[in-house]
Amino acid sequence: MQRVVVTGMGTVCPLGLNIEEFWTNLVAGKSGVGLISRFDATNYPVKVAAEVRNFDPTKHMDLKIAERTQRDVHFAITATKEAIAQARLDMTKEQSERVGIISSNMLNHRYVAEGWEILQKKGPRRADPLFFTKGAPSSICLQLGMLLGARGPSTSVNSLCASGADTIGNAMNFIRLGYADVMIAAASDASLGEMAIAALSVLGALTKEPDPDKASRPFDLNRNGFVYGEGCGVLILESLEHAKKRGAPILAEVAGAAWTFDAHDTTAPHPDTEAMAMKLALQNAGAKPEEVDYINAHGTSTKLNDVSETKAVKMVFGDRAYKIPISAHKSMFGHMVTAGGAVESIGAILAINNGIIPPTIHYDTPDPECDLDYVPNIARQAEINVCLKESFGLGGQNCCLVFKRFKEI
Amino acid sequence: MSTTEETIKDIVVKIVHCEREVLTPESTFQDMKADSLDMVQVLVALEDEFGIEIPDEDAQKFKNFSDFVTYVEARIAEKK
Repeated sequence: MQRVVVTGMGTVCPLGLNIEEFWTNLVAGKSGVGLISRFDATNYPVKVAAEVRNFDPTKHMDLKIAERTQRDVHFAITATKEAIAQARLDMTKEQSERVGIISSNMLNHRYVAEGWEILQKKGPRRADPLFFTKGAPSSICLQLGMLLGARGPSTSVNSLCASGADTIGNAMNFIRLGYADVMIAAASDASLGEMAIAALSVLGALTKEPDPDKASRPFDLNRNGFVYGEGCGVLILESLEHAKKRGAPILAEVAGAAWTFDAHDTTAPHPDTEAMAMKLALQNAGAKPEEVDYINAHGTSTKLNDVSETKAVKMVFGDRAYKIPISAHKSMFGHMVTAGGAVESIGAILAINNGIIPPTIHYDTPDPECDLDYVPNIARQAEINVCLKESFGLGGQNCCLVFKRFKEI
Repeated sequence: MSTTEETIKDIVVKIVHCEREVLTPESTFQDMKADSLDMVQVLVALEDEFGIEIPDEDAQKFKNFSDFVTYVEARIAEKK
C-alpha cells in the first residue's frame, strides 16, 4: 500500500484568509468569534458566530466564476490555489487523470429557500438554470476540477461535523488503493445563515451566550453550546513516491483513518463508538496508543460532546490520557460544521511542523467531568510525532485520523 | 437601434461578461465566448424581462446576434 503524505495546505477561515495568518492567530490564541453580521440576528436567540471577514472572492477568481458559485466554493477556490502553490503542483506536468478531488460542504439553505420563492412567484419557467449545479453538494468538485483540469476521481462526502476529516480519510484511501497519485481534499462550509442557526438553536446545540469572548469554551465547566462558524480547509495529499519524484515539500504523513457510527441517538454522542473510531484509526496507522503525543479534539463546547469525548479518550489511553495534551481549535474559530475537521487537521499538521500546540482558549473553570490536559489558554512547545485527530458528526458519524511527523522508514 | 436591442445587450453583457462592442449584428455566441450555461441564463433572463416564452427548440436556431434580436422582437410583438 502506498504511504500518503500532505504536500500543500490552504485555508480561508475566521482566523485568517491564508495559512500564515491562520497559524499566527491560532498560536496566539486569538478568537475569530464575533457578533453575527451576515444577517440581522435581532430576533434570534443566538448572537455570535465565527464569520469569515473581509473576504472578496473577485480578488481570487473571475467575476463570472464568482457569480456562478456560492460562498463555500469561493472559499474552496481560494484555499486550493494557496495549497497548490505550497505543494508546487504544476498541472501541466501531471498526468491529469491521476489527480483527483474529494470535497465536502453543506447545503446553503437560503439559496434553496430563494429558489423555491421564485418558483412560487413566477412559475417553473423562471427557475434559476444554475440551481442544480450551483446548489449541488458536488459544486466544489465541479469547480476545482475545471479550474485545475484534474480528470481523476471526483466525488463528495458528507458526515456533517465529521465531513472535513472524512474528506482527508477518503482521499488517503483513494491514493492507497491506487486510484490516484494526488488527491485534493477540500472541505468548505458557508452555511452560516438564518435557517441553520435557527434550527440548531431550537435543538439546543448552539450557545446563546452574547459575549463573543465567552461563547466558545470547550471543556470549560460553563460551556453551553457551540458557536457556528464558516470557512474552508484544503489539503493536497500524495503518494509518498509521487511526492518524492517531483521533489514536493512533505509536511506530514496521513498515516491512518477510521470511521464508526453511534447508532444510538441523533443528538447525544456515544463514547464507546468514539473510542472505537480512535482505536481503529491508530490500528490503521500502525501506531500504538502510547505513541500519541498530541490529540486534536473535536471539542465543540457543548455539554454533551466534551464529556463524551473526554470519556472516549480515557477508554483508549487509560491513565496515560492525563498526560497527553489535547486542544480544541474550535475555542478560537468556532464550528465550521462540514469544514471544521479539515481546518483543524491543518492546525494539527502545523503543530507537528512547528513544535507548538495551539491552546484551548476561553478556558477558566475546570469541569470535574472533563479533567484532562486541554492546553488551557496558552500555546505550548512540544515535539509531536503522532497526532490523533478526532471528529464526531452530529447524528453519530465519527471519523478519526492519525497524522505523523514524516520520517523515512 | 431599438430599445429592445439595447436591453438584450444589457442582459447579455451582464451574464456573459463580454465586452459590449463584441455584440455586432453578425456576432455569434462563440464570438461572445458564451458557454451552454450562459445561453440558458440569457434566455431565462429575457423571458423574465419581456414576459415572453422562448421554446427550447427555438433556442438552437439563432445564427447570430441580429437573428436573435429579430426573434425576440417578434415574440414581444406576438404577445401584444
